Amino acid sequence: MHRLLARQIRQTTDEAGQVDLTRLGELVSAAYEESDRDRRRTDRAIKLMIEELEQTHKRAEQNLLRAREFLDSIIENIPIAVVAKEAKDSRYVLLNRACEAFYGMPREDMLGKTPDEIFPKEVARLINEVDRRVADNGRPIVVEGHRFEFGKDLDRVVNSRKLLIRDGDGAPQYLVGVIEDVTERITNEARIDHLAHHDALTDLPNRSAFNGALNERLQHAQEALTGFAVLSLDLDRFKEVNDVFGHPVGDMLMRAAADRLATEADGAFVARIGGDEFMILMPDGVRREEVLAIAGRLVEVVGKELEVDDYLSQVGLSVGVALYPDDGIDAATLLANAESALYRAKRDGGGRVRFFETEMDRELRDRRLLQHDLRHALEQNQLLVHFQPQARMDGEVTGFEALVRWNHPTRGLVPPDQFISLAEENGLIVQIGEWVLREACREAASWPRPLQVAVNLSPVQFQAGDLERSIHQILLETGLAPTRLEVEITEGVLIGDFTRALGLLRRLKALGIRIAMDDFGTGYSSLSYLQSFPFDKIKIDRSFISNLESTPQSAEIVRAVLGLAHALNIPVVAEGVETEAQRTFLEREACDEMQGFLVGRPDVIERYLDLVGIDVARLRYA
Amino acid sequence: MHIQYLHWNAAHGWGGAKALREPAQLVLYFGSREHLAGGERYRELRGLYPRSHIVGCTTGGQIQGDDINDDEIIAVALHFARTQVRLVHEVIESRDASRACGAGLARQLAGTDLAGVFVLSDGLNVNGSELIAGITEVLGSDLPVTGGLAGDGTRLEQTLVGADGEPSTNRVAAIGFYGRSFRIAHGCAGGWDVFGPRRKVTKSAGPVLVQLDGEPPLDLYSRYLGEEDAVAMPGSGLAFPLRIHDESAPDRQIVRSVFAVDRDARTLTFAADIPEGCTAQLMRANFDSLAAGAGEAGRQARSALAGEIAGDKLAILVSCTGRRRVMGQRTQDELDAVGAELGDDVVRIGFYSYGEIAPPAATGRCELHNQTMTVTMIAEAAG
Repeated sequence: MHRLLARQIRQTTDEAGQVDLTRLGELVSAAYEESDRDRRRTDRAIKLMIEELEQTHKRAEQNLLRAREFLDSIIENIPIAVVAKEAKDSRYVLLNRACEAFYGMPREDMLGKTPDEIFPKEVARLINEVDRRVADNGRPIVVEGHRFEFGKDLDRVVNSRKLLIRDGDGAPQYLVGVIEDVTERITNEARIDHLAHHDALTDLPNRSAFNGALNERLQHAQEALTGFAVLSLDLDRFKEVNDVFGHPVGDMLMRAAADRLATEADGAFVARIGGDEFMILMPDGVRREEVLAIAGRLVEVVGKELEVDDYLSQVGLSVGVALYPDDGIDAATLLANAESALYRAKRDGGGRVRFFETEMDRELRDRRLLQHDLRHALEQNQLLVHFQPQARMDGEVTGFEALVRWNHPTRGLVPPDQFISLAEENGLIVQIGEWVLREACREAASWPRPLQVAVNLSPVQFQAGDLERSIHQILLETGLAPTRLEVEITEGVLIGDFTRALGLLRRLKALGIRIAMDDFGTGYSSLSYLQSFPFDKIKIDRSFISNLESTPQSAEIVRAVLGLAHALNIPVVAEGVETEAQRTFLEREACDEMQGFLVGRPDVIERYLDLVGIDVARLRYA
Repeated sequence: MHIQYLHWNAAHGWGGAKALREPAQLVLYFGSREHLAGGERYRELRGLYPRSHIVGCTTGGQIQGDDINDDEIIAVALHFARTQVRLVHEVIESRDASRACGAGLARQLAGTDLAGVFVLSDGLNVNGSELIAGITEVLGSDLPVTGGLAGDGTRLEQTLVGADGEPSTNRVAAIGFYGRSFRIAHGCAGGWDVFGPRRKVTKSAGPVLVQLDGEPPLDLYSRYLGEEDAVAMPGSGLAFPLRIHDESAPDRQIVRSVFAVDRDARTLTFAADIPEGCTAQLMRANFDSLAAGAGEAGRQARSALAGEIAGDKLAILVSCTGRRRVMGQRTQDELDAVGAELGDDVVRIGFYSYGEIAPPAATGRCELHNQTMTVTMIAEAAG
């Protein structure tokens, strides 16, 4: 009997052993109901559970499918070729689009086949060999930068990687190959590398490449006990060409000059290290005479007239040479000494070759020292202004030219031709020029006689700062009438930004200031300048005057200039007049004014007080 | 230790075995809410045992030996020869205060010779897990703590606990047993099996399960229970407890029963916290597996009671209301199974609860259980 039934009977049997059948019936019935309910609950739970598990399974399958589609679309679209083969028989099971492009055939032609059935014998042999190696030892094989073995474009450079994928039991299942086309990258890297070491304009090696080559050469020379030469080169007048003809022409000229250098310096290492500067490393063991010969040839070929884009232009070449080991055993010394030699070559007029000498080094150093001192000259009141009288041909003084002087605390008076160029190089000329202008105007304003005062303006002042405002300000400050101020400019002012310079000159002239063309006859002396601006005065350069008596050409030139100026109605001042003979000649040729020792030397204004109208005696005893 | 067994029914009032020769220190009693509410029965007991601690609670059915009944109140009066008994109790203001309440009670009980604690707590307004955590954080996890949460049939409306007073809601009582002679042993087992897919607790707030796999949990339960049984939620939900997987302690068996349902929000409230992000799985059982589980609890308790015992042995069976709900008339099978393991010399009383308190054999750390049979044996050593 079932335990429950026994219990139910026990529960419904009274002490006399009488069974309450109604009660028993109720209990048994309830037990059936409980069982039924439990069974229904169990059935429902099982049914729901199956449904839920089916749903879960379906969801998992869908997720798997989606994940597969996701990965498939990535694999299909990456620009890297992906290929998979069965490990056991090398039959292709997966190829992506990049792979088709690589092999130059649709995947339908490859899927299910082995390399032997697809590729030429030799290619298949190569592929099988790599596959076998990967399958045998299980380690991936990576090959970088090799040519692709088969396909429509055998010039492609690829990185490839082949690896083994095992199944759940660890047995080889798939061989996966990944092939990346790195042709572009390698080309780009080469291009970037080239750009990093070459000058974009001339395609010559650049400074960085030159430094590398020099260091290599030094090391080699030290080991092999040989010597070599370092040449520092600079194009003469290139800046002017650039200014006059513009950058496009300048660039073409630069390329042409670079070509000539590279061709002529056959075998040597030629580099463009900036602007119009080049460096050349001569081969090992080259002798001094050979260096000189080659350098001389370079000067010659570069100096040849060059036709660029319908312009005929000419630049020169200066060369400084330093020799290893005589002039230095390290890069810095060799470079500095080659530069010193170049500086000397330039200073000697350009178009020549100079070998380094110890004295040059000192000279360059001295120049640097002077430039350093110049920075403090203004604030330490070391600058002063001298005045040189200008007079009509009959000797009547009409005005003075203000000339700056530097009274160096240890060197004494430093000549202007030594320090003006330094000040122009570092831009100090702007402040110095302004100071001279102010001093000259202040001085002139104090003179009882309304004489002219002439002040030189540097081209740098025209390019930098606000020259117009500064002159205006100084005239206001000093109270000098604008008509008494004369500014002297050289052609350099008009070279470069011609339009801007012309505009500035016109505005100055409009204020009443007079404009004089200085050093006429030297440089380009482009007559078009005379045409484009109504100069108030032309100053004939002293070199023509001093040669008046010795060379007949000078007299002719002076005569021509005077004729030209008179025709244009521009008065002429002759500079550097020292003798009565010169004066007589000029007076005869109807020169308007003169300046020079014959009239008076540049000196402190105190020497010329009587000329400016100050009663010296009264001043002294007042 | 000596035990006097008593019972009460509406027809005959109190009756039972002959009185103890010495006064009892402790009286335990269990009955339905109808019979215990109002305090009449307590006052009668107080009249019988003026100097004893009298502790009891409402249930989902009383256990007496192999039998279950819903109509009688059952009680035992205990006299200990060498064991001291202390009773502490508190009224808990809110579920959030559960941990603090546990710790507070434990501090009152703490003593060097404290040998065991038996807890009876309100079954609906207390967070059982937190209550126990509060107790063990003060007393340590080695001290045996057992007990149960009061029940209310399958109505889940109101549970009462009485501690030297009229039974009332929100009360927690803890009995401390002191002395070297006191013996306590326990067993705890379920007999449930997980079924169906693992589900993710996607949203929860404390013991309120808001979303399971993004779906309101009431929908899931309604599907599994069928229309007829779904109406009887939360009581019918006891048929499908939830197994919570604690990733940090995979051995831990956490089984939780539904205690309340919010039909508007379609959420379910469980006996203790359901952490968000954990996985959960439905559980089910059949009559035989539940009975076998109960037998296992009995075997654990019996084998843990070591040494020679003087006097009587008492087994307090606390089983889950959910088990009774599932087993119906077959519930007695689990009592038979426990009885077979414990033997005839053990007096067995107990009740069907809303939560069981005992350290499971696997971890030994006291926890709140649902859907288990727990057996606490107490006795005094000989000599």
